[in-house]
Amino acid sequence: MFSEQTRQMAAQCRHYAMCKIDYLGTGICASGMENHYVSHFPQGRMDIYDALARELIPITRGLAEIVDSCDLCGICDKQCHFVTGMRPLEVMKGLKQHLKEWIDQGNDIIPVESDPELDALREIVGWRWATNDPAVLVTYANDPFPLAEMRMPRYVALPGTRDEVAALVRFANARGIPYVVRGNGGSVFGFVFSDGLVMDMHRMKGIEIDAENWVVLVEPGVTSFELQQAVVKRGFRVNTAEPAATVCGNIVCTGLFSTWANAYGVNADSFVDMEFVDNKGDIFRLNAPAAPNAFCFEHKLTPAPGICIRAHVRLHPVTGDEEGWFVPFASFEEAAAFAREMSQRRIGLAIGVLGGHYLSTFMSPSAALADNVRFSLTEAIGLDYVVFMIGDRFAREAVNAMQEVVIDQDLFRMFMLGLPRLADDEWLDLVSGMDGDRPPYEILLQREMRPVLDAVLQPSPETAARQVDEDLREFYTKLYARPEMTDMVWLNMFRILSARMSRRKHMFAFLVYVPMDRVDVIEQICTALGRIADDYGIDNDYGFLTPLDMGKRGILEYDYYIDHQDPAEKEKIRKAAVVFEPFLDNLSATTKGVKWLKYIFSQGCARKEAFLYT
Amino acid sequence: MESQARSVRITYPINHQKTFLVTGGTGFLGSHLAVRLLAYGHRVFLLARGRKGDSAVARVRRLLDWFDVDDGTRSMLEVLEGEMAQPLLGLNEGDVQAVIGRVDEIVHCASDTSFSARKRDHVVRTNIEGLQNLLEVVQEGRCRAFHLISTAYVAGMVSGVCREAFGDVEAFHNIYEETKFRAERIAADHCDQNGIVLYVHRPSIVYGDANSGRTLLFNALYYPIRTLNYFQRLYTRDIQENNGEKAQGMGVHMASDGTLYLPVRIESLDASGVNLVPVNHFVAAFMAIRKEKPEGGVFHIVNSRNTAIRQLVVYIRRFFQLSGIRIAEPDEFIKQPKNGLELLFENHIQVYGSYMRDSRVFENSRTAAILAGQDVVCPDFSYETFATCMRYAVDMDWGRRLYQEGDTGCAKKSLMDTKRSPHRKSAG
Repeated sequence: MFSEQTRQMAAQCRHYAMCKIDYLGTGICASGMENHYVSHFPQGRMDIYDALARELIPITRGLAEIVDSCDLCGICDKQCHFVTGMRPLEVMKGLKQHLKEWIDQGNDIIPVESDPELDALREIVGWRWATNDPAVLVTYANDPFPLAEMRMPRYVALPGTRDEVAALVRFANARGIPYVVRGNGGSVFGFVFSDGLVMDMHRMKGIEIDAENWVVLVEPGVTSFELQQAVVKRGFRVNTAEPAATVCGNIVCTGLFSTWANAYGVNADSFVDMEFVDNKGDIFRLNAPAAPNAFCFEHKLTPAPGICIRAHVRLHPVTGDEEGWFVPFASFEEAAAFAREMSQRRIGLAIGVLGGHYLSTFMSPSAALADNVRFSLTEAIGLDYVVFMIGDRFAREAVNAMQEVVIDQDLFRMFMLGLPRLADDEWLDLVSGMDGDRPPYEILLQREMRPVLDAVLQPSPETAARQVDEDLREFYTKLYARPEMTDMVWLNMFRILSARMSRRKHMFAFLVYVPMDRVDVIEQICTALGRIADDYGIDNDYGFLTPLDMGKRGILEYDYYIDHQDPAEKEKIRKAAVVFEPFLDNLSATTKGVKWLKYIFSQGCARKEAFLYT
Repeated sequence: MESQARSVRITYPINHQKTFLVTGGTGFLGSHLAVRLLAYGHRVFLLARGRKGDSAVARVRRLLDWFDVDDGTRSMLEVLEGEMAQPLLGLNEGDVQAVIGRVDEIVHCASDTSFSARKRDHVVRTNIEGLQNLLEVVQEGRCRAFHLISTAYVAGMVSGVCREAFGDVEAFHNIYEETKFRAERIAADHCDQNGIVLYVHRPSIVYGDANSGRTLLFNALYYPIRTLNYFQRLYTRDIQENNGEKAQGMGVHMASDGTLYLPVRIESLDASGVNLVPVNHFVAAFMAIRKEKPEGGVFHIVNSRNTAIRQLVVYIRRFFQLSGIRIAEPDEFIKQPKNGLELLFENHIQVYGSYMRDSRVFENSRTAAILAGQDVVCPDFSYETFATCMRYAVDMDWGRRLYQEGDTGCAKKSLMDTKRSPHRKSAG
């Protein structure tokens, strides 16, 4: 028996692979780490439950083994709740229960026969690392992209070396089997499907730091989170993508951007060299004289140069006096101008303009609290936008000299740990009543107000944990007691909060390179995307803006939110696409400095100058 | 004296029944006036809007419960769900025709009372464009009298005597004063051109019922006191439950006389104080003016005596059992800069300062003569009045318990299905 409520939760898996990295220090699903297939991680089990309930897959030996390998440790509950608010342990229990009932009823577990192609694949990667079991395949049939339909591959293989990758390509070519590569078993930007072979790079997790050359050699299964962990231990930092995104895959697909891109750049700025397996199965290095020119840019949809098997990623220095802060603004125009000025003046490392939506969602451990906090920040306190910055003490002093009100690390920690009380009705009533020409935040954020805020917010790990399910409070209390969980530098370096953007609904992100000196154009894009979404009844909001290349250009994110399990919502996006695609295409073609990421996709090795200034 | 009685309980003989349109019907003054007009036997169209998931009808029904209006009286009220800022007030065609064809008098209370320049667009939209939308709807109608609820503070940045008449103003303290001034001019021009009698009612700062303390709004006079009360409770709890850890950080402690010592210095305001009128007096004055002055005019509904801030501080200390709050000379703040609580007050004083140290004198000979003839007297703002109002405010948790069961003093009434058009709804 399947519970429909549980199935619906299982179907709501965002496929962000956050359960495949140890971002909360809880450890990772042991079965997943041992078996590497997505199917053995909570994400895969969510798909399996949904597929079983919908009778899309049979109960195979592979499935039984997957279910048995789960020890119901509950790590997935904590990890998933942190970003999505969901409690997948219920799904894991449901799977075990169903399997038991199935066996108790005298049913047979179906063996899945091999075939010559699978035998050959196993020859290449080893028997254990290739399969055609539907229970495994189905976990590669979904994609975070909300419009993607389920598509089952015939085989999944997990190569362990670059030579195995090359051999798989040659084999697939020889047998006419289409293939795709999934760095971490999924692709955040989506549409990575194949009817043939899916290569999952999860076993290739080599990280080799070459400190003298300020470079780290990264294999394709290494996630952004894992790489940052490794280099931080040695006193370095790398530009960082979504934590569960693989570094190689992210560079190739999107050019790797974040608020750090202000200082560290994008695309070819991120690496010193890249190694690929081309579509014939030959290995080449990008810096080799005879290599294809992946540094150029063409304004058209272009395939990747090949399968990245190793990236030589740039390392960046870290000073001991770095900290983060927010500079609040009541309007986007002021915030964007300030962010640009900081970039122009080379003040600060990471810079981003965030709205109340992002800020409240990042900070809040529950969706309901995020809504209240957003109201508190924007409507009550008047803080509509902040410029988020990370820099050293000289940058901090410069900003303090320029801005009267700054939310520094101490104040941020106070807000994070006192968040439920920030959204307290009584306090909100009081703050909302603060009339005057200056927005309330200008008074509330003054240094003299800190003892008052301290009394109002009662910041503590216990206060912060107050908003989550009762059985998780102890866990959250311990979590928030850890300094890094309220440290702006750490949080931004590891980006563990960003997946919360999809907590309420799946996110459909528009990413557009923009001219930072044309705030009118940036606002025009936001207004147009907002209007289109409104016309089709799609939830939408401003995402972020980060300056690039000394404030000459920037990257803008605007987001649509849909329930990816609701066909009506998908249809809305499809209809809206008829309007937003030509709008962004036209703007990209006619306005200097505007480039929709759609055209940069798979050209992540291109020099940024090749598309930002052409 | 009429204003000494609890206004909502009074019923009057029905005569000269008219139909009124009251805008801002769910607001503080609008609801009080509407209920009084109903009590006089008039029919009232109440323009109201839905808010936060509540329909206009639901909001009005809750208000009528609060006012303890009986079913018979409710049947004389119809709610028009609309929005002042929209063309034709956002009304449907049927409601527009009802306003044009049936309304004899309009009481325009809808207003944005924000003083904040950052809310300028919204204030202009409500106070100017909203009025223009209203005038456009009634232009063709039978309405022959227009009551504009303005403010005594349209006088702007002046000192001394402010005449009970239209006048020129060079500067204003805030966007509220400015837009109310402009609204008066727009209404005057329109009424003059269309042969409509205009009443401009200019109250000063209106607080709750002087006798019962009942009020629907807890801003203006109430807001800074509410702030103090919030911190009083916060720090008392901290002292009782956490050994006063947070209180110590602010220099807050329990004094030996049992009061809570809150270190709040309020900068000395060497002027004549704040002009306060209770809502029951405002309503009584409005009705008297309407009755006595068929030719309309400008009317200052004000208190003949200002209340000094120093006096208010004494009231606050006494009622709330607080110490540490005191008036301080400006140079004290040089020696010891303001603490966080004082900064909150400074913000408030910057916003309301022009009303707290008001040296304006509102000439009100015309209104005073009318009120004297009707035996309507504005009460002084005594400690007893203050205590009555604060007791109600605290009981109502500054508005948060306003509509909870038991407060309204009456059983919840079922929705009445009186004769009504498909577009209009009874709020019974």
